[in-house]
Amino acid sequence: MAASDTSSQAPADQAPRGRGDTVASRIRVRYSKTGKLRFISAIDLGRIWERSLRRAQLPIAYSEGFSPHPKVSFTDALPLGYASTGEYAELTFAGPIPLQPAITALNAAFPEGIAVRRAVAVADGDPKLATWLLASCWDVAYPTGADLTAAVAATGQAESLPVARERKGEPVTVDLRPAIHQISVHGARVRVTLHHLQVPVRPTEVDLALRSTDPALPPPALVVRVAQGRPVAEGLVEALSGELVEPLHPIDMRLPT
Amino acid sequence: MNTSPAYESVWPRLEPILTSVRKPARYVGGEGNIVVKDHAAADSRWLLVYPDAYEVGQPNQGVQILYEVLNERPTTVAERGYAPWTDMEAVMRAEAIPFFSLETHRPMRAFDVVAFSLAAEVGYSNLLACLDLGGVALRAADRADDDPVVIVGGHAAFNPEPLAPFVDLVCAGDGEEFVLEVDQVVKAWRRDGGWNRERLYAELVKIPGAYVPAFYEAEYSAAGGLRGTFPRRSGVPYRIPKRTVSDLDAWPYPKRSIVPLTETVHERYSVEIFRGCTRGCRFCQAGMITRPVRERSRETVKQMVANGVANTGFEEVGLLSLSSADHSDILGLCGDLADAYEGTSTSLSLPSTRVDAFNVTLADELTRNGRRTGLTFAPEAGTERMRRVINKMVSEADMLRTAETAFANGWRHLKLYFMIGLPTETDEDVLGIAELGLKVLAVGRQHGRRNKVTVSVGGFVPKPHTPFQWAAQDTPEELQRKLGLLKRRVASDRNLNLRYHDPRPSVMEGLLARGDRRVADVVQRAFELGARFDGWDECFDLGIWRRAADEVGVDIAWYTRRQRDPDEAFPWDHLDSGLEREWLWSDWQAAVEAGSELEDCRWTPCYDCGVCPGLDLQHQTGHLPIFSGG
Repeated sequence: MAASDTSSQAPADQAPRGRGDTVASRIRVRYSKTGKLRFISAIDLGRIWERSLRRAQLPIAYSEGFSPHPKVSFTDALPLGYASTGEYAELTFAGPIPLQPAITALNAAFPEGIAVRRAVAVADGDPKLATWLLASCWDVAYPTGADLTAAVAATGQAESLPVARERKGEPVTVDLRPAIHQISVHGARVRVTLHHLQVPVRPTEVDLALRSTDPALPPPALVVRVAQGRPVAEGLVEALSGELVEPLHPIDMRLPT
Repeated sequence: MNTSPAYESVWPRLEPILTSVRKPARYVGGEGNIVVKDHAAADSRWLLVYPDAYEVGQPNQGVQILYEVLNERPTTVAERGYAPWTDMEAVMRAEAIPFFSLETHRPMRAFDVVAFSLAAEVGYSNLLACLDLGGVALRAADRADDDPVVIVGGHAAFNPEPLAPFVDLVCAGDGEEFVLEVDQVVKAWRRDGGWNRERLYAELVKIPGAYVPAFYEAEYSAAGGLRGTFPRRSGVPYRIPKRTVSDLDAWPYPKRSIVPLTETVHERYSVEIFRGCTRGCRFCQAGMITRPVRERSRETVKQMVANGVANTGFEEVGLLSLSSADHSDILGLCGDLADAYEGTSTSLSLPSTRVDAFNVTLADELTRNGRRTGLTFAPEAGTERMRRVINKMVSEADMLRTAETAFANGWRHLKLYFMIGLPTETDEDVLGIAELGLKVLAVGRQHGRRNKVTVSVGGFVPKPHTPFQWAAQDTPEELQRKLGLLKRRVASDRNLNLRYHDPRPSVMEGLLARGDRRVADVVQRAFELGARFDGWDECFDLGIWRRAADEVGVDIAWYTRRQRDPDEAFPWDHLDSGLEREWLWSDWQAAVEAGSELEDCRWTPCYDCGVCPGLDLQHQTGHLPIFSGG
């Protein structure tokens, strides 16, 4: 998996979030959405979770009210067509359950392409999941043979990165530069860490910026969200594990932060 | 063996274009409970196609059942396909991507059999689009000896003539046993090799319920009427008796329903609690062609539901049939299921419930876990007179009592289904729909100021194998006028929600429902002119169908607007649904002359419709038999 390729243990002061309990009634998970599942919308994904939890016979808690919903909450939706090894969700069960057997059962019940990679216990009073997710690290893979080195270098040196965007039907120009924490490249693969801003910047917009320096660039073949967490000088600290996701090597163009 | 590179998965070519089409989840497969097999290790490969969008076709019970029945054979592969939406069709044509299956994304031509499920006429143009995209010749006569066998089955296949030139084989009736017998022939054909199409047909036609259109010819009179459809080979039956599975407990499918990854029209584990119907509604083709009634036992249904809920994770269980509350053990069945799922998030639904069979006990069992979503009933007509004509014997008192029960038990919203354009209908009958809706709403208001009633109105299309097969159909202009009457009557009340269908598609449905072989040219021309997804308002274009009919010289009105002569030959006469023509005629006469009712023969004496003795079967229900003493 892309994340583990380049992950290493973070310094001690960046310890994993969450609690080490092995039994819990509230948990946070990091999961992947890959393969055919990348064509499934965020709304459909909620139903897949609900049915997989039922097939796994896990006692998910339900909301009160006229039409009860299972207590599974998701962080910001992954755009349709992107793959991810860094999606996150919070689950509340009807009572405390052993974590590891629950995740094993859930992964067996999921359709191919979705799998929980890590789960941690949470307790009342812990900060909200979203406060742990300050940035996303994306891999944008261009077709084999493309070389993005020059485009990334030019992008890295630019003072500002204006791209066109539509806002309420009106064309506007936004500067991507403040959203980019780091950008690095290895041949046809670009890794970019984007801050989570009020109006999120998408990897397609980074592609637009790269394209402005190289109009002959073929469209990306695959976009993968590698992980989410806290941006640091060395890369991105993954939210649940504390593992560091580093920029690509050998060519590592870092924007000043 | 189909091992050529042309038969490999199209996925590598499909994946890059999926983000450029709407709802790509329709095309990716990968759903829960699918069966993926090695084609090379199989000796017959079926592609089961529902010729509509994925979200409509995926929940279809017929496809699901046959998919499992075929896949339970170790050396048989069954995969599924659905009509690509118009945007996807354009991309597929531009990129030369053929029609593909969802399990392995193999092209249509990698399969030995392409079997279409035809629930209704609105899929016909899509059927041709699917074949064309699959690179299979549209006309059976143009297919090579080793081309896939194209089969149709399902309710609409009881008049296959408008599709006759396009199909190799038609299944009349229940498909479970039929497909297994066809599969045997297909295996022999692929094993032996060297069979020409004639030889293949000769083997297929030996299967009971098999209709091979190429072995029959339609004859017309000088005046243009149909003389009949006659066999052109010796040993081929004059009439093809339908297949009937006699013991549903022996066929407990679906066992592992496919769980879609994206939203579909019915998201539930569905089990047929019985097949067939004896209510005798004169407009209802499904009720007529699926006789006799065959119930599943409470134990089988419970077992199927327990397994089905566990292996799908669906949150709703649908107990299907044409009139679910008529099951002889419905209270026991619903009670047991409600016990099993009390306190869970699993809910029960009875999608087809008769107005007069609904009661408080049943209501309680269906809502033990607290959900009281909408409740739907189908009085079908607005006045007692009209309901006598169609033999939907529901009195206004029944309807109001049922509304009282429902609203008193916490339902907030009732939906009522009606038809307009019925034989002998007057404006008074049409307005009766509004009156009944308003009376039901008045009952609702007594239980809550915000209670609502939805009145849903569709145009009647006469169907083959029913007493109304002789009837003339209303024009869309007449249906529009009748809708206008309704709209004006209910306009004042905001809590009565009137819904209606565009009356124009009923012209096409009427043409295809009672069309003969000459209508096949219209279907092909309409397909060529771009007809697709005719069941979708945003796609349907009556202009295309009118132009197609004009170009091939077919007079649509002759097929739709004309009341048939008593002894007129019908295009579907050679498909034997078991119903005696004399009985259908006398029931039609009873409808239009006296508006006289016919009892449900499940619990009253037999009136000799002809099905049971012909099939050597009787209704299989838990109801005590009543002897007529004759």
